[in-house]
Amino acid sequence: MQSELMQRVARRERILSRLQAVVVRQLQYRREADELDPDAPLFGSGFGLDSLDAVEVVVCLETDFGVSLSEHELLRGSMRSLNVLVDFVICHGDPKRVLAD
Amino acid sequence: MSLQTDVARDVASEVASVRQRVALTECEHVVGLRLSGPSVFEIVDAICPCELYLQDGQMLHTLLLDETACPVADAYVCADGQDFVLITEGLSPDELRAYLRQCAPAGLALDIRDLGQSQRPVSLNGPYAWELLSAVLSAEVIGLPYLGFYHGSGFTCFRAGKTGEYGYDLWLDRSGDDGLLERLLNVGGEYGLGRAGLSALDACSLENWVFNMRREGRARLSPIELQLQWRLSYRKAFPGSARLGELRRAGPRRRAVLVASEHELSQGDVLCFAGEPVGEVVLGERSPTRGDVLGIAVLAMPHAHPGVGSLEVARSGASTRVISAPAVNNRSLYVDPQRHSYGTRSEHVFPPIWSTGA
Repeated sequence: MQSELMQRVARRERILSRLQAVVVRQLQYRREADELDPDAPLFGSGFGLDSLDAVEVVVCLETDFGVSLSEHELLRGSMRSLNVLVDFVICHGDPKRVLAD
Repeated sequence: MSLQTDVARDVASEVASVRQRVALTECEHVVGLRLSGPSVFEIVDAICPCELYLQDGQMLHTLLLDETACPVADAYVCADGQDFVLITEGLSPDELRAYLRQCAPAGLALDIRDLGQSQRPVSLNGPYAWELLSAVLSAEVIGLPYLGFYHGSGFTCFRAGKTGEYGYDLWLDRSGDDGLLERLLNVGGEYGLGRAGLSALDACSLENWVFNMRREGRARLSPIELQLQWRLSYRKAFPGSARLGELRRAGPRRRAVLVASEHELSQGDVLCFAGEPVGEVVLGERSPTRGDVLGIAVLAMPHAHPGVGSLEVARSGASTRVISAPAVNNRSLYVDPQRHSYGTRSEHVFPPIWSTGA
């Protein structure tokens, strides 16, 4: 793969891993990280997260990725799947925190 | 009374009904079986890939797998008193009976009743489906949780759906004595009720990345490749669980992903990256909501990530790219039964269902 694309994919994978860890650890989701498919729905069916979990996710996005509070209104449409969340973090997160391992 | 739509009619207008108002669909392809008997829990637990934690009136969304861990049916398992109800797509009633008998633990008896003999399945989908149903059935509909159901006079109402919008599957008594269907159609005019055929529902499923047993379900892919691990558990035994465990331990080598293109994508199209084949299109069609072509492709893992563009269709040279699922921003995410109604929809500003920047 082209190196620029490889870097982009690697960055996505790192963010995805951190988000999977958030779901497993913070939300005490009874699954292992590799079971959390990136396009699976987060709410309703899928992982079955609820509105309280959504608050936890918002807090994590803020503290771990520097997503600012003013972006919250966009979050509803951004919490569809882990992949959509990754897109959101890349677009709206603090680049330094997004890139931190 | 037939609800069939003309297949050749404008699928786009039917999808628009689902996306912006409410649409009614005849669902005779859906199979419902009522399972009962003293061993019903043991039998359902043996075939269900999910942990069977259900209270009366709750359902779970899962798959039925064969021994090679490929889906044979998309299934809702519903706890109904002492019985279970299976609502499935992918198998005929006879095939589903045979599957149950084959996979049930030896020596356990099961009573099976085909709901389709006495009931007629229809579905209502759309951001205002809840409002129409609450007007025709009862206000109870509004409080019905996702993956919940209840019985009424002449019907059972399941809150489910595979379009990304508010969805209700109704099983209506075939006798029609209570005139429910007529009432739905009559009152529906006040809520912009349209009809939607299966092609429209299929298009919505693809836009929302909802597994479709009648399409990608026929591709002989595992739940791991299909990103459907949420529909099963690795902590119990069920048909296909041994093979699934092997696949998980080996690690995924390819994955089904959502792809978008400005050009036609056809089943079987080989996708190349930098001249090397990296995967194949499972299905592709123009998205009525977005206008571009959406598809499902199975790609080698290094390429199965959103943002991977420059994928080239070997046959045509057309370019395509991987995108995050779902591909639309459903209106139902923003329509709140406590604050909104179809009648006042023009007074509210909702985010676009899709924009070219998405």
